[in-house]
Amino acid sequence: MEIANVAKTAEGAPETGVPGGIDESWKECTGRGVSIAIVDSGIELTHTDLRGKIRSSSEAVKEGKRIIFRESESGDAAGHGTACAGVVMGIAPDAEIHSIKVLGSAGIGDGDSFLAGLEFAINRGHRIINLSLGTTKAQYAAPLRDLLDRAYLAGCIVVSAANNLPQPSFPSVFSSSLIAVSKDVEKDPFEFGFRFGEVIEMTAPGVNVRTTWTGNSYKTVTGNSFACPHISAVLALLLEKYPEMTPFQAKSALFTIAKSRSAE
Amino acid sequence: MGGEPTDKVLEAIRKVVETVEVAEVLTTPFNESIENLLDLSSKSIKAEGASVLIPEGEEGDLVFKWACGSVSDSLIGVKIPSGKGIAGFVYTTGQPMAVSDAERETNFYSEVDRNTGFSTHTILATPLQFDGDVIGVLEYVNRDGDPPFEPFTPEEMDLAALYADAVASLVRAYKSADVLGEFSRRILESADGEGSQDVEAFFAGLEASAEHKDRIRLAELVRRASSLGEKERALCEEILGSFVRYRDGGGA
Repeated sequence: MEIANVAKTAEGAPETGVPGGIDESWKECTGRGVSIAIVDSGIELTHTDLRGKIRSSSEAVKEGKRIIFRESESGDAAGHGTACAGVVMGIAPDAEIHSIKVLGSAGIGDGDSFLAGLEFAINRGHRIINLSLGTTKAQYAAPLRDLLDRAYLAGCIVVSAANNLPQPSFPSVFSSSLIAVSKDVEKDPFEFGFRFGEVIEMTAPGVNVRTTWTGNSYKTVTGNSFACPHISAVLALLLEKYPEMTPFQAKSALFTIAKSRSAE
Repeated sequence: MGGEPTDKVLEAIRKVVETVEVAEVLTTPFNESIENLLDLSSKSIKAEGASVLIPEGEEGDLVFKWACGSVSDSLIGVKIPSGKGIAGFVYTTGQPMAVSDAERETNFYSEVDRNTGFSTHTILATPLQFDGDVIGVLEYVNRDGDPPFEPFTPEEMDLAALYADAVASLVRAYKSADVLGEFSRRILESADGEGSQDVEAFFAGLEASAEHKDRIRLAELVRRASSLGEKERALCEEILGSFVRYRDGGGA
């Protein structure tokens, strides 16, 4: 895919920096054929809105000092993964969601399992990896950076939630190889923002988001971690339209789309 | 434990009590500061109640350690299993979040509400971070007045993060001050021989007694009165002594 394809090649709209404006047809896509890994607390597979839509469900298990992944039917320990899946489904209903549970199982939930889950998602070659998680522990910064480099080279687009705390959260503060997102009051998933030059580059709807929750229920939630799956889902639409899109191009496309909208 | 404690046991009890008293003196200012900050911040965030959860035990369970609001007394000491519920998620991920409609929460909060008689509708949970580590969770629940409550706003979420920074420092300081108390508990746990078992049994018997909470309240009153000054301590001793002598003498 060439980034120029996102922008129409017709004349006009020079103020957006994109001759001819933006090709809007990707918004009609449903994410078909695009795999999204949700590395989180698991997903409630039996939820009415999600039943049959979760292509695989794995969970981290400690085997001695190693962390391995096995098929999981244990659902969601906290509700968070189910909430993220609901956000994705609302925008990209045909995306292939893969649940990678790294939180909530007995003895699991530390930074090591988080890293192992990310590595598992990269090894599986998922096109989009949704990380509504983070760690402020400095010892995980270097291994996370290595994993993100691997993701970048493997063509996996990693979308990570920022935090709103004084301490930097990894990997959201890495600027080169992933897309970091913080919450915005917008309701329209296509009304995302791009703040070029800031550590956390993107904003997306993350305030009072109505989404799926455990117990076959729904909740209204607020947080950067719910802005994150909005961008993952938008990327699924773009990737359906442009399957060859690389992580670098994905970031450029989001920037171009956001910039063109703000110029309108 | 059968019969009266031996001199050896009494001496061990005295040492434990002394250590706990020192720990209490050291931790009380932090306890009070955290409670004051919870009170102040819950007013500022317009929440009905606030609480701090910290990890306990090797499994990483969270326990309500400090709280303000209508059910704070029954909330303190309640445990959340590791990684469960909103607080468990916030603790393990370091990601703050707010949830409305929490009364329909199917896992943990319904259980907490059943135990406390409280009805949780909205929650704002923020991690307590210190030196890169998540050391607990700061939670705000509901609003003043009657439901339905307005959801917590992004601005209140950011404000909660600032309070969390201050609370985290106090919790860290509290834990440092509590080292002495922890030390005495470990001595009790690790000491071998019949003496340590007897000391343990003595405290277990105290805690199991129906009037345990009354005694603790009375002890707290005496402690507070004693801390007012030398004259006040003497007066307190005289009043209590007179009362005991009166009762011993058969007074009604």
